[in-house]
Amino acid sequence: MSVNQEHKEMLNFLQIKDKAELFSDVPQNVRKKNMKMNPGISEFELLEEARNYSLMNKGPGMINFLGNGLYDRVIPTSVDSLIGRTEFLTSYTPYQAEMSQGVLQSLFEYQSLMCQLTGMDVTNSSMYDGYTALGEAVRMAYRINEKSEVLLPETIYNGKLEVIKSYLAGLHVKLLFYKVNMKTGHIDLGDIQSKVNDNTCAILCEQPNGLGIIDENVFSLHELKKNALLIAYVDPISLGILREPGSYGADIVIAEGQQLGIHRSFGGPLLGILSFKNDHIRRSPGRIIGQSVDSNGKRAFVMTLQTREQHIRREKAMSNICTNQALMAIAAASYLSIVGADGLKKVATLTYQNAKNLKIALEKSGKLTPNQLSGKPFSDVLASFAAPIDGLQDKLYEKGILGGVPLSRFLSHGKGETIPNSFFFSATEKTQEHDISGLVSALEVIS
Amino acid sequence: MSYKQASYDEPFIGELRSGTTYKIPGKVDPGVLEDLPEGTRREYLPLPEVAEYDVVRHFTRLSQMNYSVDLGMYPLGSCTMKFNPKFADRISTFEGFSEIHPLQPEKSVQGSLRIMYELQEYLKDLSDMDAITLQPLAGAHGEYTGILIIRKYHEDRGELDSRTEIIIPDSAHGTNPASAAMGGFDVVEIPSNEKGTVDLEALKAALSEKTAAFMITNPNTLGIFEDQITEIAKLVHEAGALLYYDGANFNAIMGVTSPGLMGFDIVHFNLHKTFATPHGGGGPGSGPVAVKAHLKDFLPVPTVAKDGGRYFLDFSHPKSIGRISSYYGSFNMMLRAWSYITYHGADGLKENTVNAVLNANYLAKKLEGKFKIPYKPLKKHELVLSTENTGKRALDLAKYLIDNGIHAPTVYFPLIVHEAMMIEPTETVSKADLDQYAEVLLKGLEAGDGELKGMPKNLAVGRIDEVRAARELKVRWNLE
Repeated sequence: MSVNQEHKEMLNFLQIKDKAELFSDVPQNVRKKNMKMNPGISEFELLEEARNYSLMNKGPGMINFLGNGLYDRVIPTSVDSLIGRTEFLTSYTPYQAEMSQGVLQSLFEYQSLMCQLTGMDVTNSSMYDGYTALGEAVRMAYRINEKSEVLLPETIYNGKLEVIKSYLAGLHVKLLFYKVNMKTGHIDLGDIQSKVNDNTCAILCEQPNGLGIIDENVFSLHELKKNALLIAYVDPISLGILREPGSYGADIVIAEGQQLGIHRSFGGPLLGILSFKNDHIRRSPGRIIGQSVDSNGKRAFVMTLQTREQHIRREKAMSNICTNQALMAIAAASYLSIVGADGLKKVATLTYQNAKNLKIALEKSGKLTPNQLSGKPFSDVLASFAAPIDGLQDKLYEKGILGGVPLSRFLSHGKGETIPNSFFFSATEKTQEHDISGLVSALEVIS
Repeated sequence: MSYKQASYDEPFIGELRSGTTYKIPGKVDPGVLEDLPEGTRREYLPLPEVAEYDVVRHFTRLSQMNYSVDLGMYPLGSCTMKFNPKFADRISTFEGFSEIHPLQPEKSVQGSLRIMYELQEYLKDLSDMDAITLQPLAGAHGEYTGILIIRKYHEDRGELDSRTEIIIPDSAHGTNPASAAMGGFDVVEIPSNEKGTVDLEALKAALSEKTAAFMITNPNTLGIFEDQITEIAKLVHEAGALLYYDGANFNAIMGVTSPGLMGFDIVHFNLHKTFATPHGGGGPGSGPVAVKAHLKDFLPVPTVAKDGGRYFLDFSHPKSIGRISSYYGSFNMMLRAWSYITYHGADGLKENTVNAVLNANYLAKKLEGKFKIPYKPLKKHELVLSTENTGKRALDLAKYLIDNGIHAPTVYFPLIVHEAMMIEPTETVSKADLDQYAEVLLKGLEAGDGELKGMPKNLAVGRIDEVRAARELKVRWNLE
């Protein structure tokens, strides 16, 4: 153990001879004897080792059709630069507001931008990721009306469903599934209508939905929801061209914000966006930044409505969430500011255009059945093949292409019928014509 | 001390009008949106139209109105705001890590899986636990995962309906009771004794066939080591309950003792505290959860396993609580923690702990006599003092500190100490930093009450009206 000059002075001041005396309160029977791990190494050696590990991964530079929630999008260099500012990166939750106005105003702007994007009244300053934000949204809906049944689309991904179930532990909420038309890909309004009753707490809709389809039936849900809350899970990029949930009566809006300037990083950190109507603010989870003034009347920002939160309310808090995704929220705010309205519209339009071209090319390849979903995809194109293909994703990978995740990977929870031999290929604004032709040629020799 | 934080009258980004300059690549086909289903198109998209240079200047100016670990000591108690090494920033931008999709084929992500596997092994080694999940996305999320495991364990034994209570000391972090309540349990709070540790008699009285678990941190939030921990574990286990370790204070004991050796069944770690991943102004964090062998089957899926030289995602836990987040956890934070642990190694991690404890005790002794520092004198990673005896309010002294350019401690927590200041220096501060901290804090005692109420003066803004923020509730801009 190294003892430098300062430490010697400190030990003298404490009137102890050895640092070990600082642990005299730790009983012998629980003292740690040894560790398996190696001693430390230098930064130079660490960077070498980390680089070698990073090279064991493959993906950058390959043709990429992976999506279903996270996407390879254009990220302005400035976004990385801004969230790399160590004043943002290495600060804590802004408990001392006067010293932390930078983070607070940035998060206030994030809240404002997200409200404009979703058409909602309030957005909190972030949740962990899309799925956990959805879990919290269902809990929030239950707090608001205390009704016991939540309606979910039968095409909800397994992962989302399991996270909702995890978040509902301890609450008496029943999950019911409504039908989705497996020919058009649209949700079945008649089936929903038959299932909405006085016990319905909330209806979840997705836009685009679990089959990747832009679903115009979603816009009519407010007409048949009765007293239930409408929770909309949306793709934030799609809001560049598709109607904002505030315009079709959503009470709570959830989105995964990774696409707004955040790297995929094998799935984390992500960004959970949670927006809602004004009425529900006191029942909402998470931190909210509010505007006030300082002692000189200057505009200033603080964390507000903290009496909903765990550090004040303890077991009566709206949620246990403490740490959130503040830095990712700042990334999203800078992304939207940099690309602007025209940029987001272009990203969304190109995504739709490329998905359309991808679908057409796949249909022409001769490998698909004639019966594809008639609804239009936004980004995730579901392709139903005429014959089963085992391990399509691995076979494509051998040809330098990422994509082809089977529908069954997302919908194995056994709710409703599924579509056989179906695989996802996702487009973004980065998808090129030669990516699509490369995929089609690869599929020609795969069976 | 002469200090001034930058103070800009910075407008909202939505008020800037320099016009978008950023170029999105690609060519839009004319009319491509014409075939969108009727009524689906958005009519109006209100987003800023600002030049990239203006966006960069805006957020850079905002950043200058923000204190951070890179500017100096940041001794928020229980937050472990230590230096965040720059090598981790660099490694996290390696393309082979940052540009990877979680649904890629297993053979294409061997590097990431290996990092995760090694981090699992590191954390098991440090904690003496048997199995682990890296999936939880923050400390509180880890706690909730632990609560779900507690539920599943008792459900598996047919006792979930009867074991409805979770016991928590009055000194606990607020997330503990909040997580327990979220999982459907009743919270039973027990008082601390005169030493500031768990009152064994109160614990015995609270434990019953209704107890599902006892949640504590060790050292506790007073910075005091629970030296009767073996006895506590015995009592809890005899009652048929589980013992949960809140890892927020793990930096105090790493390499010296471990939750596993102390008899804990479930542990969560805070990678953004103990393992120096940057906290980003409030997040992201990462809160892995480790368990003893008898709880392994309940862990969320997937975990990372190894078969010869091949790493894979293991979905095979038969009694798993299921999934708790979108994918496999916050990989970038895991990568940074892996880097931190690999760099420091067994020797360095222990040394960091010892120095963190040395710093806390040194500062406690510097402040002793001037402030009341309740309970046992020997501290671990943090100290809790009360300003009550000085006639000053903790809040005012906090504002005095920040006005002098150093961050305040956590104030008014733990709740059992009046006018509390909870100070955690960590190992990455010098004696000179600590001396200065004590000097400024003591100087604050000499300031008049009027002077204190007028602080801060040297920051971007003066004291903020928090009541007004809650009353008027402006939570978004209104630029009309």
